[in-house]
Formats: sequence, C-alpha cells, structure tokens
Amino acid sequence: MSSDQDHLKETDTEARFEFKKEESSAVRSGKGLTEEVIRMISDDKDEPDWMLERRLRALKQYQNMPMPTDWPGMPDLSELDIEEIVPYIRPDVDKREGVDDWTELPEEIKDTFDKLGIPEAEKNALSGVGAQYESEVVYQNMQEQWEEKGVIFCNMDKAVKEHPELVKEHFMTTCVPPSDNKFAALHGAVWSGGSFVYVPEGVTVEMPVQAYFRMNSEGMGQFEHTLIIAEEGSEVHYIEGCSAPKYGTHNLHSGGVEVFVGEDAHVQYSTVQNWSKNTFNLNTKRAICEENGTMEWVSGSMGSKATMLYPCTILKGRGSTDTHITIAFAGEGQDIDTGAKVYHNAPDTSSTIESKSISKDGGRTNYRGLVHIADGAENSSTAVECDALMFDNESTSDTMPYMEIEESKVDVAHEATVGKIGDEDIFYLQSRGLDDDDAKKMIVAGFIEPITEELPIEYAVELNRLIELEMEGSLG
Amino acid sequence: MSAGTQVHANLTDEQVRQISEDLDEPDWLLETRLEALEALEELDMPDVIRTPGRDWTNLHELDFESLVDPLNAAENKDQVGPDEVDVLSWADAVQEHEELLKEHFGSVVDPQENYLTALSTALFSTGTVVYVPEGVDAEDVTIRTEQNSRSLFNYTLVATEESSSVTILERQSTGEEQDEQYYSGIVEIAAGENSYVQYGSLQNLSEEAYNFTLKRGVTDTYSTIDWIEGNIGTQLTKTEVSTLLEGDSSETQIVGAFYGHNDQHFDLDVKVWHRAEHTTADLVTRGVTDDVARSVYEGVQDVGRDAWDTSSYQRENTLMLSDESEADASPKLIINNHDTEASHSATVGQIDAEDLFYMTSRGVDPRAARNMLVEGFFVPVLEEVDVDELRDDLVELIGARLRQRD
Repeated sequence: MSSDQDHLKETDTEARFEFKKEESSAVRSGKGLTEEVIRMISDDKDEPDWMLERRLRALKQYQNMPMPTDWPGMPDLSELDIEEIVPYIRPDVDKREGVDDWTELPEEIKDTFDKLGIPEAEKNALSGVGAQYESEVVYQNMQEQWEEKGVIFCNMDKAVKEHPELVKEHFMTTCVPPSDNKFAALHGAVWSGGSFVYVPEGVTVEMPVQAYFRMNSEGMGQFEHTLIIAEEGSEVHYIEGCSAPKYGTHNLHSGGVEVFVGEDAHVQYSTVQNWSKNTFNLNTKRAICEENGTMEWVSGSMGSKATMLYPCTILKGRGSTDTHITIAFAGEGQDIDTGAKVYHNAPDTSSTIESKSISKDGGRTNYRGLVHIADGAENSSTAVECDALMFDNESTSDTMPYMEIEESKVDVAHEATVGKIGDEDIFYLQSRGLDDDDAKKMIVAGFIEPITEELPIEYAVELNRLIELEMEGSLG
Repeated sequence: MSAGTQVHANLTDEQVRQISEDLDEPDWLLETRLEALEALEELDMPDVIRTPGRDWTNLHELDFESLVDPLNAAENKDQVGPDEVDVLSWADAVQEHEELLKEHFGSVVDPQENYLTALSTALFSTGTVVYVPEGVDAEDVTIRTEQNSRSLFNYTLVATEESSSVTILERQSTGEEQDEQYYSGIVEIAAGENSYVQYGSLQNLSEEAYNFTLKRGVTDTYSTIDWIEGNIGTQLTKTEVSTLLEGDSSETQIVGAFYGHNDQHFDLDVKVWHRAEHTTADLVTRGVTDDVARSVYEGVQDVGRDAWDTSSYQRENTLMLSDESEADASPKLIINNHDTEASHSATVGQIDAEDLFYMTSRGVDPRAARNMLVEGFFVPVLEEVDVDELRDDLVELIGARLRQRD
C-alpha cells in the first residue's frame, strides 16, 4: 500500500482533473431551451431534417413533462436551473467530426487529454478512442484491423450522416424514447456528440474502445449520445470516462446510452464517472438483450454534486443475461443516487446486481433498483446484493430496492448490508504494522475489489487512485 | 392529490357529534374528531409504492361513499383480561381513564397522518384501552371483534407502566357478511420504561371486506414491543405495523405471516425508526400468494442521526403457489448513523421441485407433500410467535386454506 501512495503523490491526480482552460468556442448557443436553440444546434451540425424533427418532438415532450419530485428520498434538484444552462458549445477546432491524430488538435485541447492520460492509454490498452470536448467529439481513432472487419466506431454526429438507416432505426426509438423521462426528453432535444459503435456479426473486438467526455466551460450542459449495436455473436467492451473542472455555478450532464445486444452477443459497458462537484449528472442508459445475449454494466460513480443513474437492461430474448456491478462514492456535499433496473421479459433469463457504496463527510449514497419479472418469464433468476460502508455520522446510506414478481417459477433474492468499517479489521491491520489511514484504505480497496477486477488494469488503477484521493485528508 | 372529496360530502359534523355524544366523550375528544373530519379535504391517501407505469396498490378506486356508514356500526366484541390489568371498552375508558387518554390518544399515530387515519379518528365508535400498572405481569388479554355492519371504525390503546409486561391477542372477523365492507383500525402502544408488550393480531375478515389498519408503538428506555401480524382475510388490505424506538436500549420484533388467494390484495408495510442509542429491531415476514392474489411488501429500517450502536435486521420471503399471482417487495434501508449493523434480505420463489420430488419418492401423495412444504415454509415465522393460541389459529387457517385447493 505504501508504494501505491507514493505513486499517488507523484502523479498528483487531483491536478489532473482540476485544471481549467480558457473557453475558446467557435459556436455557442444561448442559455436555456427554446426551439430557436434547437434549430441552431441542428443547423450548426448540418443535420438531415428527420433528426431536426426528432429534436423538436423531444423538446415538446420535455416541455410537457413535470420535473420528477415524488421519488422517495430523491436528490435535491432545486438548484438545477435548466434555463441557465448553455446546452451547446462547439470548440474551436479546424476539422469537424474529430481528427485522428492528437497533434492536429489545438494545444489547449491536446494538453487537456494528455493530462487526463488518454493518448497514453490508447497506445497501451485500447482498440479505439473518441474524445469529446464540450459538445463536440474532437478526436476519433480506431485501429485499422477493426475497421477492416467492418467495425464502426465514430462520433454520433457523423453516424447520423453516414449511417442514417441504422441510426434512424435505433436512435431513441425502442430503447430510450424521449418520452421515457424528462431528462431523456431534454437529451433528445439537445444531444450532441457521443459515440456510435457497430460490431458486425461474429466479430470480437478484443481490446476495449473508449470515449472520454470533458466539460471545460462553466455553466454548460453536455448531452452526448452513445449508440452501440452488437450484431449476433459479436463482442465488445466500451469504456467511458468523464470529468470536468469545478466551477461556482452548476453544470449539467445528461447523457443518453442505448445498447442493442444481438443474439449470443456480449457487450460490456464500463463507466468511470468523475464529474466535478458542481455537476448534476442525470443520465438514461438502457440495453435491450436478444436471445442468449449478455449485457454487463460496470459503473464507478465518484464525482458530481448529484447523480441519478439507473442503467437498465431489458432481457427480451430467451436465455439472456444481465450483470450490474456498481460502486458509488459520496463525499462532502454529494448525493449519489444510483442503482439498476432489469426487466425479465423472457424465460430462462438471469440477472446479477452487485452494488457497493461508500459515504463519508456528509455525503449520501442510495441504491435504488427495480427488478421486474414478467408473467411468463419462467425459470428466471435474479440476485441482488448491496453493501454499504459508512465512514462517519454525518453521512447517509440508503438502500431502496423494488421487486415486482409476476411469475412463480423464479428464483429471486435480494440482500443488503450497511455498516461502518470494522474496528476489529482496523485493529488487525494495525497489529500488522499499518497505520490507521493505510488500514482504512486497504479495507476500502478490498471492499470495492469485485468492481475493480472487472475493469482493465489501467482503469482499475485509476478507480483505486480516485478513491484513495477522495479519502485523503479525511481520515484520521 | 387530495382524496377528500370522495367521502367528505357524505359526512357531517352532526354525525361526528352524535358518535362522540353516544360515547359520552369530553369536549377535547370531540374537538380532535372534528378537526380530523375537517382535515379530510386536505389529506392524501397513505403512501403506496409507485414504479414506472405501475401503482402497487390503488386506494383511489375504493368507493368510500358507499362503504362508510358512520351511524350504523354493529359488532360483537369480547374484551377480557386478568384482574390486575384494566381492559376497558372505549366508553368505559373515557369515564375511568380520561387523563391516560389525554396523554396518549393521538400521540403515537397522528390522527391527521393521512386521509384514512383522519377518517378513522373522526368516526371510530368502538375500541379497547389496555392499561398495565407498574410491575404487573399480565398474559391472556384478548380482544375479539366481529364486524356486523357495513363499516366499522375501531381504536385500540395500550399503555404500560414501568417494569410491567402484557401479552395481547386481537382478532378481527366478520359476522354478518355483506357484498362490501370496510374495517378500519388504529392501534397505539405506549410502552413505559423497562416494560414489555407483545401484541398479536390475526385479521380474518370476510374476503369481500376492505381493511385499513395502522398499528404503531413507541418505546421508552429498556422497553420492548413485539408484534405478530397475521393476515388471512379481506379483498384488499393496507396495513402498517411499526415501532418508533425512542428509548435507549429498547427493542422491537415484528413478525408477519400472510396467505393470499383468489383475488386478494395485501399491501403490508413494516417499519422501524431507530431514534435512540443501543436499539435493536428484527423484522421477519413470510407469506404465500396463490391464484391471482397479489402481495405488496414494504419494509423500512430507518436509522436516525443520533441512533448510535444500532442493530437492525429484516427478512421477507414470499412463496408463489400460482403463476398468476404476483409478489412485490421493497425492503428499504435509510441509514444516517454509521455505528450501525443493518441488513435486509428478500426472496421470492416457488415450492422447491427437489423437495417435492423427495417427498413423493417417499410415498407422500403430491398434494399432501405440497401442503406440508407450504406449512413448513411458515415454520420459521411461527416459531417466533410466542402466543400459543395465535400460533394454533394461524396454523389452522393456513391448513384449511391449503386443503381448499385442488
């Protein structure tokens, strides 16, 4: 452990996320949500009419939907004023739709991603990388071998133009329609950037593809859309990372993620979320799984002021499988309300949800989850396990699972525990020569290990570092 | 969202005055009733769980206007107990224990907590008050209510003094059946220092009846409240059994058993609030759903900021006997103090095929084997029931219901 710590000091992780750049935008929308703003965004992207129509329809739905207020114990969104958010900032880069060489980027932006370690990771561990700065993807590259096999990994704006049939069919139609919730509707109106991933039948993309989302400007909203289509028997691991420097006013991140898992296909979607603590993070992520398909969600939520995120899997095909692994870490002033949703709509489906949360210094974590087993989904099983660690008496840890079971031939189990770090565990480690801080760090590292071992080593290390950083100075 | 317009139009101050006058109540009680009546307009139905696109229980479809008939309450009631405890009808308690009522009535369950508690407060015409003096140990207090009218509003208060103990068994059933009936009951328990209250309840109303019951106890230092909650009857039941652990080192156990068949709908809430140091809670519920019955279970363990050294456990298991039934569950943890050991678990499943196979391979006929397994499923809950009479009644009702099946 002590060597890890030294490493931490050397890399000065905090500075890697906290730096700010001067805003240098080519196009910037006004604040708030009006038809004019939507038309301007669509026009700036030179979009086809059908997409503009979808945006405008989503805007209407957004305007007609009330803010959610009746969820028990939901995070306080009263400080979020969407009319004050700037929904669209196109950074000043020469080439639209992303360059494929980091050196072609303006120095400010290149420096941003260097500091975040993205080009380095690309060399070592990834099949492809997309990097979004404000509202636009500025870098996009994938190794040639995947391109040759027909894999598409491009930014979403480009996909609208180059793969209109696929996008028309899958974009916010059956998976996450704008009518799903107010923030999905908002997203449908102002979305910009994000990734489009298409994996043809039978292709296994061996190394993960990654997208990194960076918000730099104060008071902006980022609304990237990610659409993943994995055809029959294919396999892909998508990783997203996100961060922003902290400002005095609020930022909003409201992403939309849609994943189509074909027959026998396997998709893993991993997120390491480290938004600044002035960011409201309100996302809608959903996957539809065909026969024998497998969907895995791995989420680490460290940042944001308030997060509401419940990745959802619809097990539509017989024998399909879902796995959720989530970890939430809430420090001072943070309310991380996250969990999972699974709909078992076919026989022989199974789901496993594993949630770990840590709250300290007055932070709040909540596991909020729904498992629905529909009538006829015979021989389905679900196992939910939630564990929470609390560091102090100012913090809060809630667990709110909902189970709706309409089918009798099922195996449903939910378990949850909440507790403090065991004095005996600490004593044991101290008796082995560790100091109090190191003992606590080691216990936390062990607590979250089921999550970190699901991630490529680079990300596992990153996640551990972030958590250690969060714990710095708060222990004693 | 107010539900007030539903029945309020039919109810008048005069009716409430009449009820209060018949019971010879003091002015302050009449005032409380009238305030509750007036509040109906503003109040909402009790909370029910809602998930995207679904309400777990719909209370708004109840036609209170035709269900509630305030001045024609009729029942058959037994209220008995040993000599050293006071087991009084409401009317007698009003005469003999006004100070006690003043202290406790409405102090545990706010009469205006929701629409149905206010309705109950305004209209209750019968009830029982159990008072256990200091140091007295009493068993075998029994309260039996047989409903013979369209609606019946019942109220129960249990107050125990220091270092006393009492075991109470309450049963509700239906005498004269009607096509639709409404039973409403509020139970308040104030457990004095170092006292012990065991409150067993067996609800076996007609399957045409609607039932709203709220039972809540408050503990003082070192006191214990144990609940046993059996639900067999009614078409629709919405209940809450809860304990507010306000005294240091106080404890509670809430044991529940239910068996829903036909189109029965049970919405069962079990809640505990830890609001003092060194408190312990153990919530255990088991139930069966058959035919097109639906069970809705919500269990809440809420640990307050100052509830140091809390232990809190919750288990809920549902056995589905039919494919058309539904079992919904939401066990919740709200933890605001880290010096807590808390856990909950919930399961839903069917009769284990291997168990069934084993028994039939031993020559037990499949129907008997199934019935034995269902009876066996209830054993862990029945074992927690300390009141023999209640346990025997439960076993008998479960057995009878099983034998009704094909």
